[in-house]
Amino acid sequence: MAVRKTVTGLRAWLLQRATAVYMLAFLVFFLFHFLLDRPHSYAAWHGWMSAPGVSIAAGVFFAALLLHAWVGVRDVLMDYVRAPALRVCALALLFLGLSATAAWVLRIFLGTAA
Amino acid sequence: MKLSISRYNPERDEKPYMQDYEIEPGPEDRMLLDLILRLKARDDSLTIRKSCREGVCGSDAININGRNGLACITRLTELKEPVELRPLPSFPIIRDLVVDMTGFFKQYHSIKPYLINHDPAPERERLQSPAQRERLNGAYECILCACCTSQCPSFWWNPDKFVGPAGLLQAYRFIVDSRDHARQERLDDLNDAYRLFRCRTIMNCTEVCPKGLAPSRAIEQIRLMMVRDSL
Repeated sequence: MAVRKTVTGLRAWLLQRATAVYMLAFLVFFLFHFLLDRPHSYAAWHGWMSAPGVSIAAGVFFAALLLHAWVGVRDVLMDYVRAPALRVCALALLFLGLSATAAWVLRIFLGTAA
Repeated sequence: MKLSISRYNPERDEKPYMQDYEIEPGPEDRMLLDLILRLKARDDSLTIRKSCREGVCGSDAININGRNGLACITRLTELKEPVELRPLPSFPIIRDLVVDMTGFFKQYHSIKPYLINHDPAPERERLQSPAQRERLNGAYECILCACCTSQCPSFWWNPDKFVGPAGLLQAYRFIVDSRDHARQERLDDLNDAYRLFRCRTIMNCTEVCPKGLAPSRAIEQIRLMMVRDSL
């Protein structure tokens, strides 16, 4: 039962697909915005990114990106890193890397909001 | 016709090596197996597994020019020379082109490849409607030759944990069988990190199946059943 409570099997598979679909939709939205209504100054870009809808959508995008990367890279490590100790180290490094990225993203977002 | 065949005698060789042969097909030789048997008459140390020689038993599955297939239904005219013959990739080699299928059948048996139905047995057979029977098409025809599983990279990395395309096709065959009562247990059994979800939809299985079946579609169907059940 402990296995079922973690993000594995169907849950991991669904999470990876759901995050992929969201990221694709966000990127299409982002690119179309830049094609149709390109911000011509930093202030315009800052204003657009600070709008609640856009900043929430961008925040969800980065959350989706980190979750997607966690599931995907974890799968690769499960396939190729066979020694248990080495695998735990690799997973810990991945977790640290993604956590650092999350902190960096958060800092940028908070800086933008300030 | 030029052939290059992987040879390995565990009593003599440290590792497999390729041996070149040149042999002309006889007037009756149509399939690759005919030529291999002709070659075996010349060099009786060459070892291959075969039985029905008409694509039904699945014994003579080998890797032909990099692609798994049955020697008995592979036409000589379709082969590019020199024809490279190797044992099924990733399976332990017993000798020459004969591999150990123990791991493959262990995974096959793990999906409980039989009907689970605790209802009292009827006097005659358990009936199915034509629509119920139709759902088994494309799954029951599998001859367990292991061409698909041996060509699957996910199985190469995790042969002890990933069921593999042949086993999953059979799991699907019993999950959708109207006479089987263990649908949920079967789905639960496959819902972990390895047994089903190591499949990366590479689709080599469907590409090489000598019976034209689509294990990748069966795997997708099982995933969709799990998704529907979880909603």
